[in-house]
Amino acid sequence: MSEDIQVLIDDVVAKALAGDMDPINNIEDRVTRSKAKAALVKAKRSQPETEIKSKDSEVSEHSDVKAKDTIEHIVIASLTKNFSNFLDGEQNGEWIQMKPENWFDIAKHLKENEDLYFDSLQCNTGFDLEGGMLESRYNLHSMKHLHAIEIRIKVSIENPNIPSVESLWRVADWFERETYDMFGINFTGHRDLRRILLPEDWEGWPLRKNYEEQETYHGIVVPKVKEGWE
Amino acid sequence: MTVDYIFDFLTGLLGGFLGSDYLLLASMLIPCLAIFGFITIYALIVIYAELKVSSFIQDKVGPMGQGVGLHAGKWGLLQPVADALKLLLKEDIIPSSADRPLFILAPFMIFIGAFISFVAIPFGESIIVADLNIGLFYILGVGSIAVLSLILAGWASNNKWSLYGGMRSAAQIVSYEIPAGLSLIVVIMLAGTLNLQDIIKYQEGGIFNWIIFDNPFVPIAFVVYFISALAEVNRTPFDLPESESELVAGFATEYSGMRYAFFFLSEYANMFVVSAVAAAGFLGGWQSPFDGFMSTPAWSVFWMISKTGFLIFVMIWLRWTLPRLRVDQLMNVCWKVFLPIALLNIFGVAIWTVVFNS
Amino acid sequence: MGVVHGQEMVLNIGPQHPATHGVLRLQVKTDGEVISEITPYLGYLHRCFEKHCENVTYEQVIPFTDRCDYLASMTMNFGYVVAVEKLMDIKVNDRVQHIRVIMAELQRIASHLLATGVFGLDLGAFTPFLHMLRDRERIIDLFEMTCGARLLYNYMWVGGLSHDLPKGFVEATLNFLDYFEPKIDEFENLLGHNKIFVERTADIGIMPAEVAINFGVTGPNLRASGVNWDLRKDDPYSIYDKFDFNVPVGQGIKGTVGDSWDRFYVRLQEIRESVKIVRQAIDQLPKDGDVHQSMPKKIRPPKGSIYSRTESPRGDLGYYIESDGSDTPSRLKMRSPAFTALGVLDEIAGGWLMSDVLAILGSLDIVLGEIDR
Repeated sequence: MSEDIQVLIDDVVAKALAGDMDPINNIEDRVTRSKAKAALVKAKRSQPETEIKSKDSEVSEHSDVKAKDTIEHIVIASLTKNFSNFLDGEQNGEWIQMKPENWFDIAKHLKENEDLYFDSLQCNTGFDLEGGMLESRYNLHSMKHLHAIEIRIKVSIENPNIPSVESLWRVADWFERETYDMFGINFTGHRDLRRILLPEDWEGWPLRKNYEEQETYHGIVVPKVKEGWE
Repeated sequence: MTVDYIFDFLTGLLGGFLGSDYLLLASMLIPCLAIFGFITIYALIVIYAELKVSSFIQDKVGPMGQGVGLHAGKWGLLQPVADALKLLLKEDIIPSSADRPLFILAPFMIFIGAFISFVAIPFGESIIVADLNIGLFYILGVGSIAVLSLILAGWASNNKWSLYGGMRSAAQIVSYEIPAGLSLIVVIMLAGTLNLQDIIKYQEGGIFNWIIFDNPFVPIAFVVYFISALAEVNRTPFDLPESESELVAGFATEYSGMRYAFFFLSEYANMFVVSAVAAAGFLGGWQSPFDGFMSTPAWSVFWMISKTGFLIFVMIWLRWTLPRLRVDQLMNVCWKVFLPIALLNIFGVAIWTVVFNS
Repeated sequence: MGVVHGQEMVLNIGPQHPATHGVLRLQVKTDGEVISEITPYLGYLHRCFEKHCENVTYEQVIPFTDRCDYLASMTMNFGYVVAVEKLMDIKVNDRVQHIRVIMAELQRIASHLLATGVFGLDLGAFTPFLHMLRDRERIIDLFEMTCGARLLYNYMWVGGLSHDLPKGFVEATLNFLDYFEPKIDEFENLLGHNKIFVERTADIGIMPAEVAINFGVTGPNLRASGVNWDLRKDDPYSIYDKFDFNVPVGQGIKGTVGDSWDRFYVRLQEIRESVKIVRQAIDQLPKDGDVHQSMPKKIRPPKGSIYSRTESPRGDLGYYIESDGSDTPSRLKMRSPAFTALGVLDEIAGGWLMSDVLAILGSLDIVLGEIDR
């Protein structure tokens, strides 16, 4: 690593520790940026009071909270303060059923709010509810507070648009592409919504319950009678 | 020189039957055939050695034949023969988008480069095809033909991987020729000649008269030369031009069958050439390590081949032990480490010679 | 003198390429040796795992899970049966739990051996790879002894196991561990402290912790970034809370936290910890207990859904199962750790040299069977 890059890194790390993350994010060269971020983590670790993950204290704090209420209620309470009309129908306590409209802002809140801090999107599952409805399910988890929730968003099969959260949790990039690939749920605002596992020119959405295989694919006839494994 | 000896011999034998033109031609062809035969047999042996040495390093037995039936012979001795036959019998594919003449030319060129180097390698006091007065310089010079042919192979294949391999090999070989050459200058300074025979004769009189033990700077020069030579013949840890996990097979990606075998053969032939130069320049060549003992012509061939063989063994050993360097590290090592060391070495040897040997 | 500008070249690494560990296509933009942008194309190994699962019964899913991550079939089985057992609320007896842990940890050793070995192979070190395969072979022999299969085991069943441990398994395993423990140091010295290897991996492909979490990277890759996160400790399933072991995290010994060397080293340390767990599990292994005891006659979970996570050698292996009360799953989604690990490649490997990109790809330890499902 050359001298001036090292100086640059030291400089941006000092700024980041003071709370200004912009210099780091503005570094053009990706290699330098990742080095700077790594240096930042190292610097943060050497300061015990701002440790990334002070698990023990958080767990005890969290268990106090848990005694009072389940995480679903805490999340709903926190969201109600900032958003209105986001719930979709009755809640059963196991998951949170939401409307798609302001999902992106809600997700931003879930990720950035200090008490919730769902920094990790564990899983995104599509689901065909049959009867003309599709669902996208998000399993969120907080590496800091060690709590997890499931959020479900229902959309109609005619208009399957859900705001993309790909820019919040970058892992959602491929998860959403996969859900799009299999269910045809359109994640609006996704930078690069393409099929991921199937070929680009595949027709239909295979995991929908009413899926019919295409007749031929590049001249190859798709056999309709399945033998051997059913 | 050998050609003259053979010519005289043939004239004495057949002078009445054939014209001297034919005899001259024949006396030139005979050493060529001998070299060709030597390279072929040597390649079979070194392929077998590579298989076995790598196997022992990797905790396995390598090619083995047991019982009756089709197998690779006792201890797998027939394995290299089977490999060679396989390469000979394989379909020869020339990609339709390749530059056909150049594609065909490249493997021949690289083999010619390796082949003509053998001409100046001494195996004994009079066992040398051409006792050139610039033997060392000649070998370094014709060794560079390899670069041309690797670039040619990389470009003519019309394949991106081949192109990468060709570019890498050009950069690598050209760079490493400099420290290799500078290290050999130490030898030339001490022996005062470019003639390989005279260099070897300078080291007469037992193991402590070898150039490598001449003064404390020479072992450094030897190490620099050996590592640079390793890079010149594209062996691990410098096998970037054909690094199989990065560039598939580098410059040889599109080659198959016999054409691929030529690259393969030249790599081993080049290994022999650089090791032989190291043996002649630093380790006394065909001189016996014991003064006056075991120095008949047969023994001198034995010493030359065993010294070279040991260095080849070290190359095989390194290949199966070390990971591969990266392109920029390769260049850093060359220009920032080896080149200054080699230059300082020259000064060191010069000063040493003036102070202690004058 | 002006600056020389080269033209960018688009290069396809794969689908058939020695360093892609399967059939993966990386479309890269290169400027000479520098790679500026990487776009992975997946799906060459897509076998419709999730679609198949909707058409077969819960038992019949298990062989499919084997084939997803074919290098860690035991842990794939494990994750699935844990999910179904949670959904059906089945408690399995202690012997079964111990055997499962032994198998899963042996599998983790085998998988990490291959991962570190292949990583060395990507860097041109052939010999450590074969030494590691030699020892992996002995683990596979143990599996063969147990269930007859060497790669795809179908060993863990919902509520139990396909077979009890065979006679002599415990001795054979202890023998193996005694033989194997000194070998770990050997591997560490052979590859990990090799100067060239360190030069090639330290400070290369640095993945900061926040990037790792944001990209959903889990398992050894996440731990190498300095995050102490292991589901066996943090969300214990089966009986992992009974065992005493450490969670190795990356410390940046040779370079920066989260570089390729750390990812290699964390795996090597995890092998040591797995050896510890296997030893403890064998010590505590109950003598009696029928491995078929709690197996339900008919697997028909109640209506509902579950997202269950386990720690596979590659990270958080999640199964999302939605049951409609019939004997086939209504929806089964596998959240595969290698899938998310590959997603981070462009972020951490863009801007490096070609050799580095392939080294970083090797350090992420991806298995295409699991990515494409």
